[in-house]
Amino acid sequence: MTDDRATAVFGPPIVRIAGDMGLLVEFGEVYHPRINTAVMAFDTEVTDLALNGVIETVPSFRSLLIRFDPLTLAFKRLKAEVEALLARQDWYLARPPGNRRSWVLPVCYGGAKGVDLGEVADLTGLREDQVAAAHSEHPLTVAMLGFSPGLAYLGQLPEIWDFPRKTEITPKVPCGAILVAVRQTVLPGTDIPTGWRQIGQTPFRSFNPDHSVPFLLSPGDEVRFEPVTETAFAAYDMDQVLREGRA
Amino acid sequence: MTVGLKILSITPGTTVQDLGRTGFLRYGVTGGGAMDVFALAEGQALLGNVVEDAALEFAGAGGRFQATGAVSVATSGAVMSLKLNGAPVGWRQSLRMETGDTLDIGAVVDGVYGYLHIAGGFQTSRVLGARSTHLRAGFGHVPKTGDVLLAGAPKRSSNRVGLPRSGYFDQRVLRVIWGPQSHHFSEDTRARFAQAVFEVTKMRDRMGIQVRPDSGAIKSAAGLTIASDAINLGDIQVTGDGTPAILLADRGSSGGYPRIATLITADVPALAQIPTGDSFTLEVIERSTAVDLLGKFRATLAGLPGKTAPMVRDPRDMGDLLAYNLIDGMLRGDEHDDN
Repeated sequence: MTDDRATAVFGPPIVRIAGDMGLLVEFGEVYHPRINTAVMAFDTEVTDLALNGVIETVPSFRSLLIRFDPLTLAFKRLKAEVEALLARQDWYLARPPGNRRSWVLPVCYGGAKGVDLGEVADLTGLREDQVAAAHSEHPLTVAMLGFSPGLAYLGQLPEIWDFPRKTEITPKVPCGAILVAVRQTVLPGTDIPTGWRQIGQTPFRSFNPDHSVPFLLSPGDEVRFEPVTETAFAAYDMDQVLREGRA
Repeated sequence: MTVGLKILSITPGTTVQDLGRTGFLRYGVTGGGAMDVFALAEGQALLGNVVEDAALEFAGAGGRFQATGAVSVATSGAVMSLKLNGAPVGWRQSLRMETGDTLDIGAVVDGVYGYLHIAGGFQTSRVLGARSTHLRAGFGHVPKTGDVLLAGAPKRSSNRVGLPRSGYFDQRVLRVIWGPQSHHFSEDTRARFAQAVFEVTKMRDRMGIQVRPDSGAIKSAAGLTIASDAINLGDIQVTGDGTPAILLADRGSSGGYPRIATLITADVPALAQIPTGDSFTLEVIERSTAVDLLGKFRATLAGLPGKTAPMVRDPRDMGDLLAYNLIDGMLRGDEHDDN
């Protein structure tokens, strides 16, 4: 795809006002890997500008929120910086940021740790014994963290995974549940109520509030799931992951 | 020696609040912090605390507290019935408590969120850089009967001071600016929204407030087709049935419901203190005007220590406090509220 066509299909990015302390750079309205990668690449560049007055940046599926103090950094100045950065390249052709990390996370599929696996087999047209392999076949990208502390939305799964969430809410799924729907995988960092379908669980904890690095997964990171047995799940050494900062 | 307050009883929903957390939105953690940061600043001004110090936030009713040593405390925000060793005391003042003194904080009589501050701030555990209790995320200390909440070192010696009631408690026109998703609503819908009278419903908590417009449902042309992105403090979200909700301190960090406008930062305390069942209207302003108002708001907060006035008499020495009309706070008579 040429530069012109990428922006024509997905863009152009639009700069919007987001409250009196926010500027939003919207790369699209839907979740698409190209839009999401543009957000991650742009986030890295905005962060590198290290503008005095920027409080934090918040990448999502489709946009980057820049929270800033308008009494330190004038909106017009920030907008000009952002527009200059936007004009520099076709962001929809951007490669994932070089500093993104790769994770291999063990998952115990089915049984008590994946109560909805049978239902998901029906929805995808897979046999029950194929679900684990199909789900872990492709590396996924952390498209956004949100909803609750450390909860990662990962995408994008093939089209057979394009089924809706449940209509009823499961009051509590555990931290580490592997939840699927709408071609995405959700990995919560805490126990949460959810309408997503649980096919497995990882012993990896993405959110460790008392640790020096409380959040292990960052927006844009690559995640590979690896099917493991109940025994391997029980033997997983999360403390070692925290010590080494990788998995 | 470390002193503090022992909780003899407490109303569920009471939380510890400071200015909240910054820098973790990208990991799904919203700021949290006091629902009324103006009231938080009032308490710091009354006690000479620093802006980061933590207070207890009450939602509707308080509790009973006993001093474990000589401490200075102060109250702010929503006016609540208050007794020191059984004798009524006015709100929005600092008070000296001796060992064993008890403070009874009853029901709210004006506003929604009341605060109890202690000189030096409550030293509960910090999570992600703040002491704010975030019930939904499981962060911070949840105050319960039997706890002893310790105070930090006071920054100055205690002198009894009070602050006048601030005008934002009566503010019923809230300022908003159009937001990044306003274009998902038709011009007609936006006009109806801007002119509507909104009633504050009982569906309210630290996450946000559902409001009922007299204009009928506010619907978006986008429906539910837009993917989630970051939610700002004060964003006004419209769910499928057309009910707007204004998202506040403990909101989710992201969402996919269309958002029609954003409440300005300076008016968040005013909204937080509007009683359930009361109504308000909106005024749509420009972003640059909102920034001017933010500057004024911060200047007012910074000026609060200078607004404190010495209490003429100690309430311990006063026989019939209500006769002095102190229930609404300290009124010197020669000051006016220009907040």
